[in-house]
Amino acid sequence: MNIFRNISFGQYIPGNSLIHNFDPRVKILGCLLIIINLFLISQFWGFLILGVMVWSGIIISKIHPRFVFRGLRTIIYLILFTMLLHLFMTEGEVIFRIWIFKITKEGLINGLFIASRLFILILTTSLLTLTTSPISLTDGIERLLSYFKFIKLPAHEIAMMMTIALRFIPTLLEETEKIMKAQISRGADFESGNIVNRTKNLIPILVPLFVNAFRRADELAIAMEAKGYRGGEGRTHYRELQIHRKDILFFTIITALAIIVGILF
Amino acid sequence: MFIRLENVNYTYNLNMPFETVALNNINLEIEKGEFIGLIGHTGCGKTTLIQHLNGLLTPTSGKVYIEGIDICQKGVNLKLIRQKIGLVFQYPENQLFEENIFEEIAFGPRKLGLTEEEIKKRVYEVLEMVDLDVSYTERSPFSLSGGEMRRIAIASILSLKPQMLVLDEPTANLDPQGRSKILSEIKNIHDHYGITILLVSHNMEKIAEMVERLLVMNKGKIILDGSPREIFSRHAEQLIDIGLGLPQVTQCFYELKKRGKSIKEGVLTVEEAEREVLKKIKALANNLQK
Repeated sequence: MNIFRNISFGQYIPGNSLIHNFDPRVKILGCLLIIINLFLISQFWGFLILGVMVWSGIIISKIHPRFVFRGLRTIIYLILFTMLLHLFMTEGEVIFRIWIFKITKEGLINGLFIASRLFILILTTSLLTLTTSPISLTDGIERLLSYFKFIKLPAHEIAMMMTIALRFIPTLLEETEKIMKAQISRGADFESGNIVNRTKNLIPILVPLFVNAFRRADELAIAMEAKGYRGGEGRTHYRELQIHRKDILFFTIITALAIIVGILF
Repeated sequence: MFIRLENVNYTYNLNMPFETVALNNINLEIEKGEFIGLIGHTGCGKTTLIQHLNGLLTPTSGKVYIEGIDICQKGVNLKLIRQKIGLVFQYPENQLFEENIFEEIAFGPRKLGLTEEEIKKRVYEVLEMVDLDVSYTERSPFSLSGGEMRRIAIASILSLKPQMLVLDEPTANLDPQGRSKILSEIKNIHDHYGITILLVSHNMEKIAEMVERLLVMNKGKIILDGSPREIFSRHAEQLIDIGLGLPQVTQCFYELKKRGKSIKEGVLTVEEAEREVLKKIKALANNLQK
């Protein structure tokens, strides 16, 4: 009974491909560029080009498409739902009609566009998180945010919070699984009953989970203080991020493509 | 036959890059009333193995039979299995959540749908089994000491009236007093209430003197299965080889034997060692007199 086996959104798959080895800052910015582009373009060819770009990224990263699709599985209903809404709710030239429902040409196009937008969006962000370890991801974000220090943005603190949050997601999942198993062994039943009972059944999980999480937070704070942690001032990194020639090249290509696609479509 | 595991394999994260084999072809039979110890390194698959006993995990391949029923089949009443085989997890104090200890222990019986009267009876019964006073029922479980919390957690499993109790390192992180208290209660639960016990532990000394049968796991396999005396005498070398070692007195006698002294092997407790040494001294004294 591996309850959380299916959660893969935001998961990192270790590897040693070109994409894995790019600087995280470059990857984050590239990802951002593609996403902005997604919302600017309004022609089919634009989506096709962006889609092919991201898909070739996935191929280069040597990550099995299974992982990419596993991340998509949770979101596919949202995509379908929004697509249907657009399909039926847009006014315009009617091309198809059943009973009170009508499908318009504009609706069809809008629906398809929205679906491709969301689809490529998820693919892009999945590619980012699948190929970038949480540590280098937050490192990259910290460095990027530190450019905004002049407006007093606490870059280090934000990054530290993200690091800790990311660090504890698997721990908490593991713990939830353990507590669930323990309560099941004590006679709890999480699989049957109506919604009221099911909600009540969460108490034996949530109370111990919170008790442990608060205790852990306390211990972590003390441990950090004991190690002399005092914020980001003058802190150095074990792994210094460095921009190599390939990062610059990668970024130039992405930017160029983004601009071309953005202008043309 | 109470429990039978047949060629059980279990792999975590099957078909993923982080795939790890946790159990490798486990065959195991357990009879009612046995007192079994399970030792092995951290990560050797002990916890994974015990989770198969009450259907929390289903084997990647292989079969688990409880009283002749294959529990991996669809439609098996796992609730009933889990009531028969009580599983106490490591650090069970982390699962306490009720307002007071009465409710904590009554959680399981309540889920079984017993009457209020029967529930009350069971709560007092199991409190006695773990040797805690009735006055505890009003207190919050979070106000107790670590050892007491753990005994409450064990009591909350016992209140299901299991036929077998599986305990995953019940003495981890306890002070010596709490440790011996828990262990003597477990012994009592076995001896007086006839409950089958499977005890996972790192504590060689205690295991050696308590259990009737010892299982040794290494890298997902059960490598040794027999009485502690047999395992600690005949397979001492193997145990040292895989880094598990022996109980201190056993180790001491083993080293003496290795240096050519004619001394009994497989001595398990300090008392036994004392007797052996006295015997040797007496024989020596007798020889000198002659």
